[in-house]
Amino acid sequence: MTRKKHIWLLLVLPGVLFLVVFMLIPLFSVLLSTFFPDTGFTLDNYVSLIGSVYFQQVFGRSVRLSLLSTLICALLGFPSAYYISRYSRHRGLMMALAVFPMFTSPVIRSFSWMVILGRKGIVNSFLVASGLFARPQSLLYNEFSMTVGFVQLFLPQMILSLLGVMDSIPGDLTEAAGSLGATRISAFLRIIFPLCASGLVTGSVLVFTGCMTAYTTPQLLGATDTQVLSTMVYQYAMSLRDWSQASAVAMVMIVVTMLVSGIFNHLSRRINPLAA
Amino acid sequence: MALLELQHITAGYGKNIILRDFNLEVEKGDFVSLLGSSGCGKTTTLRLIAGFSEPEEGKLVFSGRDITHVPLHKRNFGFVFQSYALFPHMTVYDNVAFGLKMRRVPKDEMRRRVLEMLELVDLKGFEDRYPREMSGGQRQRVALARAMVIRPDLMLFDEPLSNLDAKLRVKMRVEIRRIQQELGFTAIYVTHDQEECFAISDKVAIMNQGVIEQMGTPAEIFNGPRTEFIARFVGFENFFTITRQQDMWQTESGIPVRLSSSPARDTCKACIRPEDVQIAGSGSQLENGVPGLVTVATFLGRMVQYNVRTDIGEFVVKTEQSQVYSIGSAVRLGLRENKIIPILS
Repeated sequence: MTRKKHIWLLLVLPGVLFLVVFMLIPLFSVLLSTFFPDTGFTLDNYVSLIGSVYFQQVFGRSVRLSLLSTLICALLGFPSAYYISRYSRHRGLMMALAVFPMFTSPVIRSFSWMVILGRKGIVNSFLVASGLFARPQSLLYNEFSMTVGFVQLFLPQMILSLLGVMDSIPGDLTEAAGSLGATRISAFLRIIFPLCASGLVTGSVLVFTGCMTAYTTPQLLGATDTQVLSTMVYQYAMSLRDWSQASAVAMVMIVVTMLVSGIFNHLSRRINPLAA
Repeated sequence: MALLELQHITAGYGKNIILRDFNLEVEKGDFVSLLGSSGCGKTTTLRLIAGFSEPEEGKLVFSGRDITHVPLHKRNFGFVFQSYALFPHMTVYDNVAFGLKMRRVPKDEMRRRVLEMLELVDLKGFEDRYPREMSGGQRQRVALARAMVIRPDLMLFDEPLSNLDAKLRVKMRVEIRRIQQELGFTAIYVTHDQEECFAISDKVAIMNQGVIEQMGTPAEIFNGPRTEFIARFVGFENFFTITRQQDMWQTESGIPVRLSSSPARDTCKACIRPEDVQIAGSGSQLENGVPGLVTVATFLGRMVQYNVRTDIGEFVVKTEQSQVYSIGSAVRLGLRENKIIPILS
């Protein structure tokens, strides 16, 4: 029996081997390099980083924009996924539309936003033509355009994650709640929403991690005064050739991502104690 | 006056009409079953009553009040689902308490009523379990308790036992009947299981293609099916035509048959169950005797089934007698008068 079980372990071996060689070992060597740059153990890399006002600003912006984008994705994704899962007659088409943005590269999508949000883009043309503003607004190269880019980039992940759990919720639960006296709203809040918690967490972790680590979108839709951690890593590594600072920033990113994922998970367990 | 009336209901999904000019009356305190094969409209009827869907035409009247457009959460009908439909993220206690929370019942009264109901369905001590930690039978009892705790004006059951194994089904249906008689609620029960439905109900409505073919007590239907469909449903397999000659009835081949009840028409169909047909050697004297030839003999264990060709059609006979008639042998079938049922329509 145990011998047979061992044989099945061979199935995961290739994947594990790949990850160990190309991910875990490099990761640990990066981690070690931040504590042991040249001579012995030191916390200098982190102390100087965290002490820097510039880093604090970038860090704050990264987390803030990622959280904001996650929230917007959840707010936009939830009704869409619910509609597709429950009411849509053209499910395949709807799914295709929801996932469609994922078929184009983030670079191309960022360029599209440059066209749309530019001084002569359709948004500004509309704002001026409708008389809301006298002259074109600057919608590009700031936190607004970055958030728009993030949301479009990661909304499909949120919708897909939510669809996964929503499809597994039997339709008769709402009917059962109704027959017991619950209005549609209260059936949604007490039954459907808690059961979606696990999908909401998966989606949120994907979106948050995606936003934290995205590089092209903040690079193309942001500006030098709206740097985020990922562009900062690039700058340290490629422009300033400061590999140990770059590694330290990367470590901070990993820690933050893991921390936030943990918080999301905790929240979902508060909503639904059975959520995985 | 009936407690619940469905008047001239038309309902369906899109262009697919399932019920057309459908009528049903349910008396207070009755346990009524809707019986029929899948697609006959029984579940559609139940869902209409529950308020999960609305009819395109017709009226639902409950206690003299038109409830056709009353939304489901205001009807106060308990519903038990085939799939149980328990809330997976809530404990047994919270599942059962759900309806009382919606009604803003005070905490201590709620606690008392939930525990009382769990005791009634024999689930005392299971309050803190989650549905996934329970067996199918236990889940169904939670579903039952959850629907009953709101003291519904009407209990609706949608094939509640069909996901359980045979032994448990029999146990649960006795349980449901016991609780119904204890609490005295009115119930409508949908099933495709004939035995289950006859065992549990005061009245049975047999549905076929969107209409009720016959409604009556189980005994009435079992012993006096009105149509061939119903007759086949309750185990009749032999059908033949009879005609009136003055005061006598006879088969098409001229063999006289005596009937215990006399139909008003001059020609009609009659039927008899395979178990009620007597079989004997060709020389024997039998009441309403019909000569025939054995074409198929099948050993069924306790019984032997014969297919016998006669002048008035092919007969299926099931007999417990040990005498075996081989294929091709000439026999006599006895159609006992009190076992022949004339079909009225």
